[in-house]
Amino acid sequence: MMLPKLGDPVIVQNITGRYGRLHTKLMLDYGTNIAAGAAPGKAGQSVEGVPVYDTVAEAAEKTKAKASVAFVPAEFTLSAGVDALEAGVKLLVIITEHVPIRDELKLVQLAQSKGATIVGPNCPGVIVPSQKVKLGIMPAPSYRPGNVAVYSRSGTLMYEIAGQLTANGFGQSVAAGIGGDPINGSTPVEWMDFVQGMDETKAVVVVGEIGGDAEERLARHIQKSGYRKPIVAYIAGRHAPKEKKMGHAGAIIYGNVGTADSKIKALSGAGVKVAMTPSEVPVLLKQALR
Amino acid sequence: MRLFEYQAKDLFKQYGLSVPKSIRADSVDQVAEAFGKLKPPVAIKSQVLAGGRGKAGGIAIVNDAAKAKSEAQRIFGLAIGGEKPSALLLEEAYPHNSEMYLSVSLDRGDRAFVTIGAMAGGVDVESMSGKVIRKVPLEGIDDRFAAEVASLLKLERGQASQFVKILLSLERLAREKECELAEINPLAVGKDGTLMPLDAKVIIDDNALFRHPEFAKMHPEDEFEGEASRQGFAFVRLGGDIAVVGNGAGLVLSTLDLVGDAGGKPACFLDLGGGAQQERVEAALRLVNRLPGVSRILVNIYGGITRSTDVAAGIKTVMAQGGAKPLYARVSGAEEEEARKMLVGVPVKLFRTAPEAVEAVVKAA
Repeated sequence: MMLPKLGDPVIVQNITGRYGRLHTKLMLDYGTNIAAGAAPGKAGQSVEGVPVYDTVAEAAEKTKAKASVAFVPAEFTLSAGVDALEAGVKLLVIITEHVPIRDELKLVQLAQSKGATIVGPNCPGVIVPSQKVKLGIMPAPSYRPGNVAVYSRSGTLMYEIAGQLTANGFGQSVAAGIGGDPINGSTPVEWMDFVQGMDETKAVVVVGEIGGDAEERLARHIQKSGYRKPIVAYIAGRHAPKEKKMGHAGAIIYGNVGTADSKIKALSGAGVKVAMTPSEVPVLLKQALR
Repeated sequence: MRLFEYQAKDLFKQYGLSVPKSIRADSVDQVAEAFGKLKPPVAIKSQVLAGGRGKAGGIAIVNDAAKAKSEAQRIFGLAIGGEKPSALLLEEAYPHNSEMYLSVSLDRGDRAFVTIGAMAGGVDVESMSGKVIRKVPLEGIDDRFAAEVASLLKLERGQASQFVKILLSLERLAREKECELAEINPLAVGKDGTLMPLDAKVIIDDNALFRHPEFAKMHPEDEFEGEASRQGFAFVRLGGDIAVVGNGAGLVLSTLDLVGDAGGKPACFLDLGGGAQQERVEAALRLVNRLPGVSRILVNIYGGITRSTDVAAGIKTVMAQGGAKPLYARVSGAEEEEARKMLVGVPVKLFRTAPEAVEAVVKAA
């Protein structure tokens, strides 16, 4: 996984749409180099001074960008994602919610064959405060440069927890929303390995929720790999009913699979400190870093 | 979207999977009529989406019309997981020696579809031993793939050829209709060796429904769930007395936990979605105000893309119209102070943190 550094060029797909425009401005305001936009049939226009091309391929060729943020409607996300990966994009952030599972699986397979990373879909994106890199829709004031890596299946919960970390003096080395869908372009295990190799990361905060077995897999991975950095986790949904989709497509308990209790037990068993509320996260982090 | 058994079985038939003869009945009168057209013994099955139907008493085997009527009356009145059936399925019982399991489903962790087969059926797949699990390619499977699963299950030749046809059909159904799960449990082995699906469970990927208009309006919609979905809210009814409203699925989920831990009972989960504006906040508050059983409302907003001032304006409008339930709100993040100023004089209790708001709303019972 390669995160952009200060000044690295970034493409925005569907830059002329309502969200594309709004967030291009907010990403530029943060200091991110949005170098080009892609929107079919809109070549020659500009958004916030950013030139627009018909295709990602042209945008990538003109700017040498290796990262793209897609604000494309769900029914076109597969083709937009294929365009980006074929154009040599190595970090593709998909904000879009409601992408069909089979489309997500096709994108994951293509990304794997190209050595590229997908973040999302159905996520707020990635932010690297020290590099002024914001690839997504998260509110900038919640974040400060620092040494804690945060990754989360939920957007607002990530903002809330990052905001509480910041208020307690813990800045972030990177914060990523991995997405609320059943399929994640990059998994918690992949993020954990990535931040393990990141020197500026001294501790990790994992924000999970009900549904699937990503946290259980993460717990096994932590044990097997002898992970060294302190980890604090928070899992939402202890009081959620079974068989109901709780907002996110991926937040659903089937039978006994995907309960918060199972995740909390697995993570605790792997030596992770598990907070019972978002506000307990900075408290446990302070203890873990003592 | 999970289909009712009778809907899933209609789909099975479209894909060439045979199922026992059955008739759907929407009333006790229809049950009597349907019973007359079937060969007893007949199974009367509650058409609910909740699991554990058999254990809960939602299935009865009957041999005569009088018993069919009395059992139908009982099952129509029986709530399973809070859900009463609006239809029953009457089905000819299928005499069989043993049961198998077969499904095609999404394996989230492995990010692939898999087929699972087992020589035992009727129970929960998680508790089955000796399962055969194979990854299913996105583009589909062929005879050889299905034959390999049959041989791993050690099926004898006559059954193996039936099994191959069933697996090919089930996989095609799952792929073409974009199912998260297509499951036959149990797959009965009849007295003459014929394989027969007795139950059908199908869950369609909600996000793929735009490619499958045939599934539109397949469910009787709850009035409130229908309105919430038209407004674009994520909404789940939970049966308690505190309506929980917020922005972002994870944040609302986490608020439910805070309420539950404090001993409160949420009436609903309502996620406004990202970037909610004043009109959406108003629509959400009006919806939960009308929801039966709600005695107070908890709003938890972390302002970011959603502006606190938009939320405050929405609250102000709804409260000014009168008749609103007591409202407890935590509004924080961008433009928090301005939002607080806007709400001076509005009958709403404001809090700086979620735990404080939750404590107050739960104690107010």
